[in-house]
Amino acid sequence: MSDMVHLTIDGMKVEVPLGTTIFDAARMHDIPIPTLCHQQNEGPVAVCRLCVVDVGARVYAASCIRQCDQNMQVKTNTTELQAARSNLIELLVSDHPSPCVRQQHSGDCELETFAQLYGVSESRFAKRAAPRGQDESSLSILVDHSACILCDRCIRACGEVRHNNVIARQGKGYAAAIAFDMDAPMGSSSCVSCGECMVSCPTGALTNKKVVGQHLQEDEGLSLDVKELLQLPVFKGVSGTFLELNRGAIVKRNYKKGDLIFREGDYGSTAFYILEGTVDIYLASPQGHVDTEGTGNGFFSKLRNKLKGRADHQREEENLIRKFISIDANIDLEYDNPVAKLGPGELFGEMTCMSFYPRSATVRAETDCVMLEMLRNVLDVMQKNKTFRAQLELNYRQRALETHLRSVPIFSTLTSNFIEHLREEVELIRYAPGDVIFEQGDTADAFYLVRIGFVKVTEHYPGGDLVLAYLSKGSYFGEIGLLGGGVRTATCSALDHTEVVKISAHDFQEMMATFPDIAEKLKAVSDDRIRENKNRFKQVSTVPVDQFLQQGLMEAQSLLVLDLEKCTRCDQCVKGCADSHDGVTRLIRDGLRFDHYLVATSCRQCRDPLCMVGCPVGAIRRKNSLEVIIEDWCIGCGVCANNCPYGNINLQEFALKESGELFAQAGEAQKQLKKARVIRKATSCNLCHDHPEPSCVYSCPHDAAHRVTPTDFFADMVGQKHLKATD
Amino acid sequence: MTTSVSPARGSATERKLEGIFAELKHIQRIYGFLPASQMKQVAERRGIDVKNVYTVASFYPHFYLQKPAKVCVNVCTDMSCHLRGSDKLFEGIRQRFRSAADVDFTLRPASCLGRCDHAPAMSIGDDYYDDLTVAAAGDVIDQALLGRPVKASHNGVHPPALQTDPYDGQRPYKVLQDLLAAPKWSEAIGVLRDSALRGMGGAGFPTGMKWEAVRDADSDEKFIVCNADESEPGTIKDRYIMTHLPHLVIEGMIIAGLITGAKKGILYIRHEYEDQEHILQKEIDRCYEKKILGPNILVSGLSFDLSIFVSPGGYICGEETALLEAIEGKRSEPRNKPPFPVMHGLWNKPTVINNVETFAFATAILAKGAAWYKSQGKNGAFGLKFVGVSGDVVNPGVFEVPMGTTYTELINQYAGGAPAGKKIIGYAPSGPSSGYLPASMLDLSLDWNVMAKAGSMVGSGAIVVCAEGTCMLDMALNAVKFYRNESCGKCVPCRVGSQKMVDMLTGWTMGNFKASDMPLLDELSHTLRQTSICGLGQILPAPIQSVIKHFRPEIDAHILNRQCPAGVCFEGKRA
Repeated sequence: MSDMVHLTIDGMKVEVPLGTTIFDAARMHDIPIPTLCHQQNEGPVAVCRLCVVDVGARVYAASCIRQCDQNMQVKTNTTELQAARSNLIELLVSDHPSPCVRQQHSGDCELETFAQLYGVSESRFAKRAAPRGQDESSLSILVDHSACILCDRCIRACGEVRHNNVIARQGKGYAAAIAFDMDAPMGSSSCVSCGECMVSCPTGALTNKKVVGQHLQEDEGLSLDVKELLQLPVFKGVSGTFLELNRGAIVKRNYKKGDLIFREGDYGSTAFYILEGTVDIYLASPQGHVDTEGTGNGFFSKLRNKLKGRADHQREEENLIRKFISIDANIDLEYDNPVAKLGPGELFGEMTCMSFYPRSATVRAETDCVMLEMLRNVLDVMQKNKTFRAQLELNYRQRALETHLRSVPIFSTLTSNFIEHLREEVELIRYAPGDVIFEQGDTADAFYLVRIGFVKVTEHYPGGDLVLAYLSKGSYFGEIGLLGGGVRTATCSALDHTEVVKISAHDFQEMMATFPDIAEKLKAVSDDRIRENKNRFKQVSTVPVDQFLQQGLMEAQSLLVLDLEKCTRCDQCVKGCADSHDGVTRLIRDGLRFDHYLVATSCRQCRDPLCMVGCPVGAIRRKNSLEVIIEDWCIGCGVCANNCPYGNINLQEFALKESGELFAQAGEAQKQLKKARVIRKATSCNLCHDHPEPSCVYSCPHDAAHRVTPTDFFADMVGQKHLKATD
Repeated sequence: MTTSVSPARGSATERKLEGIFAELKHIQRIYGFLPASQMKQVAERRGIDVKNVYTVASFYPHFYLQKPAKVCVNVCTDMSCHLRGSDKLFEGIRQRFRSAADVDFTLRPASCLGRCDHAPAMSIGDDYYDDLTVAAAGDVIDQALLGRPVKASHNGVHPPALQTDPYDGQRPYKVLQDLLAAPKWSEAIGVLRDSALRGMGGAGFPTGMKWEAVRDADSDEKFIVCNADESEPGTIKDRYIMTHLPHLVIEGMIIAGLITGAKKGILYIRHEYEDQEHILQKEIDRCYEKKILGPNILVSGLSFDLSIFVSPGGYICGEETALLEAIEGKRSEPRNKPPFPVMHGLWNKPTVINNVETFAFATAILAKGAAWYKSQGKNGAFGLKFVGVSGDVVNPGVFEVPMGTTYTELINQYAGGAPAGKKIIGYAPSGPSSGYLPASMLDLSLDWNVMAKAGSMVGSGAIVVCAEGTCMLDMALNAVKFYRNESCGKCVPCRVGSQKMVDMLTGWTMGNFKASDMPLLDELSHTLRQTSICGLGQILPAPIQSVIKHFRPEIDAHILNRQCPAGVCFEGKRA
């Protein structure tokens, strides 16, 4: 058999090597054949059928896949072929959202270009009845199924070209569509955001998602050459075109030794990746919590807010001493000495970048540094990059896992050997906002530590779900199910972009067996939680729960109740509160009314404690008794105060000397205010616990204000008359 | 023969999907559906990506991806059932069980269940019920809701005496024994060639040529595949042959294996044919016992293994290359041809793929001789054929008839003619694929050439009869809907075109006709015929084009006067 095949294409005699497709043979001889599904770097699938040619057989042949036969007579451009192609385009156009996203942005949707060429921009066929929807879950790529023509180019890009094997067809017939993994949202699929699918897509079905309204100032930083980026291992496997499209979302910056990169509490939207040099990452705010203390006789004037650290002032609720402060980097800071160093290959600022939380720590260049600063779409690309993931995981395992585990007081006695073992075994898993990690009732199969983001813990109650907690970095969950009946007692889901460390049930049980003291402590915590849950359930089941729960009153430690029949609205209570707290009130005389009582706004331990969402350093938490506590390392960013829907968290300001010391006297500070820096600490009502009575109650001239426990108050209400809520 | 070099198929990684449907079915039996966690485990066990599991699981309607209702009722809505009132049955069931919650009960239209001779039919899970009324269906569903499913009790007729069977119940597998005693493989192929036996699945490719090509192919591995996936509305003859002549099918496959050098046979059967699967399995087991199958068949030193592959479902699986894809554990999407299966078939190896009837006839011909086969037939045609007659006839069923028999004879003499007092207005000689012919063309005969000349085809012999009261536009729409429902979606013309054609014709039955529709329909028909990858899309325009050709006054009544002469369309028509 000859190695060459002779055939005729549109009257031209051509000779091609055996095995050449008609499409390639024609192209080699400058005979263009239209196609939508065929690309030179992907194997042919012949699904769009635009490239059909007449080979004199019963039906047309798809030239992209049909190989040349000896003496074949091929026609590529008859009237009938053109009619068929035009009709195929008209079919696709009838279901196409013209102009699609690609056409709008760059005017190069291949389908719409063909439609114009063939004069079928308006299809005579009926439109698709139900829209196919969009998937906006990926930070870097927008999926618009309505614009998808099922050319399989993305599937081959993902599989054949990049070997990621995430995309496939799902469903059948007219309902067929592309899907990621098992029809997961792209953002939570195993997609690595390499961008190859988007680059391969002929229409607006997969397009580059720009971070709206954000563009890193290229004049400040050094604009990056895509080639340079592609040489970095962290961008290995990413499509160059894709990076090109995202050029505005990443810059290279040079810092001199001592330059401040950002300060804790700052707002931002970027993450940093260190290429060269080292940085110091530390908490600049002095540690301590706000305490109000009386100094002797008299009342208001003698009250003073002071910052008190753990050493000076042990709070009773601080029986669980945490040794580490978790920050937005792959390392935890020691409580006693909150400074660490990060070097080349390290990433910081992920949570700020992904979820716009304030900066959790201050970063200063320790040496001259070169860094990449990026917006969330590029960070997403990096985070999903296999090389980078591997590096990140390695860093995490080597550096952070140990402190992370040890920062959980219960685990402080773990031996290094065991941690060594866990290093090999744990899994790092990412979740997109809203993803369920496990569901109440599921079989318990693992124990988790939060690495990034917030995990929402909810429990089913008659009348709705109750949020038990928002767990931030450094927290753990999943132990109750493992220690108890093997079944999840609550649902845990990702509140935002979350990453957790998963320790399998097997390893967890091994840990329990090896360290009986840990097992014992955990069991005690778990028993406590179970008991509380049971109590809570009883409590909420026996009263008209809906209203109580919705208003977050039932679990309050203490309510300020104003008897409206006695109250003259003189606002002395508010004044009293303000006076005793350096002029900042923690009380507002407004709130829910039950019969003739007003329950004034003050911390009420909400069903959904939003204040705990977003604290960049995890300094606000709920004790097991449900009371809110703000830790010493609060950086005063104000996220919790903004989040509290009832305005019950306030920020206390303190003046700071340049040396970082506090001024001893407020007056002294005022004198030097120009030189001083103001720092803030969050506070919530502390019931003026240094006084015999809260100042609000004390200051009421009409005996209308009372502090009561909710159970007493509501039992009274429910027992005597039916609850009348806010009518 | 083409010189095409096939794309790389059948590599080691691809075989990781082998047997995946059996695994998924097993999971579905345990959980009632396919939980995501289980699919993940399947992927892990096989060392494949999860998308490979999901892409096939979501393709086949037999698999549930969510927990289904306690009782899922599927009512067949295709040709024969449609003619026998499946719409009324569906609506009746819907009304009666409208209060049943979704968790308990779902009702869905289904594609042809292969019970065309006992229409209308429905299925609940893997149980099939036919000859239904609303009352009878209601009772069955009531029992199912109570957790006491009624077993369908449709007993077949007594085994008929069939001319095709050379054994008449005595000493089967004699052809095989004789061939092994005096191996004359080339002569056997000669006999088949002389008999001019053609493939009975519809395409009519000469069987002898096919076997010879595989015999001549140089390969370390070859396969024999029997296509028992008959899923075209009206086609029920393979079910009949497998019920009554399973030994001829199996013997045909073994002989094909010995002739071609294939060591492995796979009988691909649609999952709705559980009874036939059992009959065949029993026969296969018997063959293994008697050393007719397995290593060293009848001490000849030759070996052949045969197994049944139960289809995960769908008409498209009957397309030969789509069928091979399904066996390979993939989405049942047809391959671009060439290359053809004879050279690049299952796992890219030379493969004989023939219909049930073809294997049975091959055995009969090798037993009785080519001359016997050629002497069968009349009116200038030769050979025998199994045909199914259903729709508006008194005695629907399957009949073994000489080729050349006219459709009048088939309908009136074999199937008892139209119901009393009704006139036949048209018929489909072979399900939707043949298109519809008017009553004036009933004198055509079962003859490949005659039918081709008439612009139709003998096909698989699925004769569906339409009597007075049938709207032929409605029948065309019913056929197009079937193709739309069964399109695999691989190529644009079929995936999109089938839906657009349904949209257009539905419009016609509801009074929405646009002047641009007729030329557009012609353009679409040309596109479908010429550019679709497989026969499904290529044949898709046949029903409506044949109705436009032969029943134009009826079409005009709809599109010009908004009238349905049969009183089926317009009022109360569901979109």
